[in-house]
Amino acid sequence: MRYVEEFRDPELGHAMAGEILATVEPGRHYKLMEVCGGHTHSIYKYGIDDLLPANVELVHGPGCPVCVIPMGRVDDGIAIALQPRVTLTCFGDMLRVPGSRGTLLDAKAQGADVRMVYSPLDALRIARQNPDREVVFFAIGFETTAPSTALTLRRAKAEGVANFSCICNHVTILPPVRALLESPDLRLDGFIGPGHVCTVVGARPFEFIPADYGRPVVISGFEPLDILQSIHMLLRQLAEGRCEVENQYRRVVPYDGNLRALEVMADVFELRPHFEWRGMGFISHSALKLSAAYEEFDAERRFSAPGVRIADPKACQCGEVLKGVIKPWECKVFGTACTPEHAIGTCMVSPEGACAAYYNYGRLARTRQVV
Amino acid sequence: MTVVRVDGERGLALCASEDGARHTVETGLVDPVSLGDSVLVHAGVALVTLPG
Repeated sequence: MRYVEEFRDPELGHAMAGEILATVEPGRHYKLMEVCGGHTHSIYKYGIDDLLPANVELVHGPGCPVCVIPMGRVDDGIAIALQPRVTLTCFGDMLRVPGSRGTLLDAKAQGADVRMVYSPLDALRIARQNPDREVVFFAIGFETTAPSTALTLRRAKAEGVANFSCICNHVTILPPVRALLESPDLRLDGFIGPGHVCTVVGARPFEFIPADYGRPVVISGFEPLDILQSIHMLLRQLAEGRCEVENQYRRVVPYDGNLRALEVMADVFELRPHFEWRGMGFISHSALKLSAAYEEFDAERRFSAPGVRIADPKACQCGEVLKGVIKPWECKVFGTACTPEHAIGTCMVSPEGACAAYYNYGRLARTRQVV
Repeated sequence: MTVVRVDGERGLALCASEDGARHTVETGLVDPVSLGDSVLVHAGVALVTLPG
């Protein structure tokens, strides 16, 4: 398969690991954050960290859209789903995200009409086919997913589909990254940038990281050789005293992003003044709501929902995991009370969550075998 | 995903994934696609046409 096999060549991977080893300075500890949960998943699926020198540590960032949804927003979705004549649609991994009184899947078991969709377009199709029902799409995701919601809302408006609406939980990646850089808890040496978000926003918005915080960024693809090469590029910048945004994923990411997608998003969305992130608290201008031109499709206006902030369960340490302060195995409930089958925290629910990646690929202990 | 049918009028394409599953994909954010093109799709929308 083109664009896949050539980026999974084990011999090239070992050769790249050798170049990484030759680039690191003995005695120096490097902490590199992969911002995106897709990278975290690939790193553990392919055992990439086992190819790295012991002094290169990968820290997992907040770029998993399911993981950062706060409990109160899940409760709002459930409250709307339980209202008469409502069909609530969402992506599959959202179904099992715990709110304060269960999940959307639990609501479905109680009789709510909750359906999994592949894209918001599917939700719009359900609305067209069921004009007697109110079809609500529970929208989540970063800038990669937001264009899909925006295009669907444009279609709904153009077609006059009045029984369709959206609970908008789209978030933006740069404000939490800035918050992490401001955090005294964490010292990072560089960032593996989120390749898929950058297909939309481009690499340019990440320039504030080297300019304002003196940390290098490499926008990375998701195959094993992509990630290894990105790590090598970061380490080379550090070794050479350079600090800039480099684009390893040039086959996909234009430096200025997808201008059509940005234009559609600017039409349909506007920034919320602030938004709550699970475990990270409220972050200014870190999420999107529907613009005035699309407010007729805003489910938060159409339906009543609690809109209450709910504290995370005390046992769960997803917040620290999402900020890269602790590793999943350091959480008190990891792999015991919290498993993918019975998740307490969101990081164990989504395949892109760091806890699920550690659990699914057997990283249950703190030791790392370096080859 | 690979484009297997194009509905240019509605800005849609039928695309096949690596495992053979087929999905309707919105193509309004990329230049017009042709049969056999590889596209990066996220949540039902083509975000990039990959170089041939």
